[in-house]
Amino acid sequence: MAHLCLFSLLALSLVLKTQALTPTHHLTTTDVARLQAVLSQPFTDLKSAYYSVVGLSKLGIFVADADETCRFIKSNLDPSSVESLFYAAEASQALPGCEIPVSNDTRDLLLATVSEDSTASQIHQSVSTLSSLGLPLASQEVVSALKARISKEDNVLTIILALQTASRLSQQAELGDILEEIEDLAARLDDLGGVYLQFEEGLEATALFVSAAYALSDHVDMEPPLKEDQVIQLVNSIFSKKSWDSLSEAFSVASAAESLSNNRFHVPVIVSAQGPAAISHSQPFLRLQVTDVLCQPLSSASVLVESASATSSKSAILSQAPFTLRDGIFELNFMSSKPASGYYQFSIAIAGDSRFVANHVELKVKVSTRVSINNMDLSVVDKDQSIGPKTTRVEYPTKAKASFMADSHQNFAMTFQLVDETTGVELTPHQTFVRLHNQKTGQEVVFVAEPDSKNLYKFELDTTERKTEFDSISGTYALYLMVGDATLENPILWNVADVVLKFLDEEAPSTIQAKTLYTPKPEIQHLFREPEKKPPTVVSNAFTALVLSPFLLLLILWFKLGANISNFTLSPSTILFHIGHAAMLGLMYVYWTHLNMFQTLKYLAIIGSLTFLAGNRMLAQKAVKRIAAEQSSRLAKYRSLR
Amino acid sequence: MSNSVFSVISRFVEEYRSSTPNKLKMIDAYLLYILLTGVFQFLYCVLVGTFPFNSFLSGFISCVGSFILAVCLRIQINPQNKRDFLTVSPERAFADFLFAHTILHLVIVNFVG
Repeated sequence: MAHLCLFSLLALSLVLKTQALTPTHHLTTTDVARLQAVLSQPFTDLKSAYYSVVGLSKLGIFVADADETCRFIKSNLDPSSVESLFYAAEASQALPGCEIPVSNDTRDLLLATVSEDSTASQIHQSVSTLSSLGLPLASQEVVSALKARISKEDNVLTIILALQTASRLSQQAELGDILEEIEDLAARLDDLGGVYLQFEEGLEATALFVSAAYALSDHVDMEPPLKEDQVIQLVNSIFSKKSWDSLSEAFSVASAAESLSNNRFHVPVIVSAQGPAAISHSQPFLRLQVTDVLCQPLSSASVLVESASATSSKSAILSQAPFTLRDGIFELNFMSSKPASGYYQFSIAIAGDSRFVANHVELKVKVSTRVSINNMDLSVVDKDQSIGPKTTRVEYPTKAKASFMADSHQNFAMTFQLVDETTGVELTPHQTFVRLHNQKTGQEVVFVAEPDSKNLYKFELDTTERKTEFDSISGTYALYLMVGDATLENPILWNVADVVLKFLDEEAPSTIQAKTLYTPKPEIQHLFREPEKKPPTVVSNAFTALVLSPFLLLLILWFKLGANISNFTLSPSTILFHIGHAAMLGLMYVYWTHLNMFQTLKYLAIIGSLTFLAGNRMLAQKAVKRIAAEQSSRLAKYRSLR
Repeated sequence: MSNSVFSVISRFVEEYRSSTPNKLKMIDAYLLYILLTGVFQFLYCVLVGTFPFNSFLSGFISCVGSFILAVCLRIQINPQNKRDFLTVSPERAFADFLFAHTILHLVIVNFVG
């Protein structure tokens, strides 16, 4: 029975969300076994012993060697530490026949810890120890200490510990204020996508909250203020993690699972189909597993199909049909209602206990069937219909003996019917293909056969119309019929007959090449930018000469005008100036051929400054000479006038 | 009509030959040379094509720039304009001419490519 839970993993997708939530995450048997394995690890100290022993007891499993464990606990007990006493006391409670010796000092220590000044965890530990050891405690004092503690430290863990502590107190104490904390704490949960509800402190805090809230609610017999959807979301959060980091985390998950399966108010129900929810004539039973969060079957439940309707037509097939319980699995013979093949939406209700939460489930069930082909008629019809069609009937799975010939004057036609094997109802599967395969060239062409209004399938092949699909290659084609659907158990691939097709104007190549998608493509040669067409050298040389010719003209004109260098004074500044000027012109040429701007500017600065200084001096001398000449000429003119 | 144009031209040429000082005539010859060079460059561009367009532009700008600078020199040197250029002596004009030419040639050589 335990391994049946394994298949519920596959059924996760089948449990859909409707108006009420259903759990999307839950523990399977393997998960429970893993949890057990984590908690069964050999313990090293008192704390891990506590987690293991008490955790396993929550899963309903008792430690193998109780005496050995009891001895271990007693030997590791430190009577002066409240924490050590707590672990020992709680663990010994879970072990049969294990008693912790208590002294007066121990009791005094525990009672003294119950005060406002201790932390919430200390108060929790001492109260739990006192109650486990059967020692008297003053509940009212505890309540006031807890309330003071909550008002000082308002965090989630403190309040959870307060809830746990309150569940160990006597029922006469005023636990109302602490009970209200459940609602406040529930408001602090984070809703993630409407699916998960958890504290930001993490999984452990959420799981401890669940176990504490239900422990206290059971203790005071008041329903916790958690809505059904919230409970399911908490289930999703706590049981979504399937491997646990630490012993304390595993312990918290185990205690949450135990409290969710055993409390007096809310018991979440996990419904999953065993295997795929598919029914056929060979498998007429729809099997469901109905368990609590610890994967234990709920035998007190009664499962009922409220309604089952076809998804396509929405017509109801079943109403209020009960499942029968057999070997812990609930089953229903759906095929007895003779459903047509297709998909059905089941609305399932689980009754039997008012505590059940998420007890309405929607399930999508598939009904499959077998198909058979009737009245397969093959014929060759003349286009002008002067000659009547010759019809040949072929039975599945045989092949027609003679092959059919069709050329440009004739059409090839095929009609058939697809029916349900058992009921004889006509079917329209999703895939009805006619495939023509040329054995010689390997070419295949696929057509779709369409049903008419009376669900009779027809296929016609006009050779002239379809010659492009065939690439006009004549030859013998094997004709296959392919029938398939999700609801068919026996998809069909049937070689019905051979058809010889003759096409006019055969222009296609004799062999078909496989599509040349992956062969190397022709190489692209990069074309560099073509240099512009230059004129022939003769032309450019001619024009160069033409452009330089005015210089000759200039020299001739200057000669005629009487230009001379008779005024050339051989002073150093003059020579330097002329050399510098010539150097600047030479620098221009060198710049054109070799240099860049920066170098040129550098040289120009040097030569230019020299030339400037020399030129300045030279021109000043010239100016002086000119002014002197002007003055003397003016003087001569003045003298001649007198 | 053509008679009067011809007579005006011949009169102008006569005037020019007699009254223009020699220095100015030399500058005029230089101006003619620059002009012809520019015209021939333009002719090449029109006839053959603009293939190295930057070279054509550079050469043409060189002619234009030189022409302008020479005209400026001529104006400044002309003794009849002395009153307009009291601060600028002929030597100073020539020095400016050379300096401007240096910059012009720098730009031209950069652009000719």
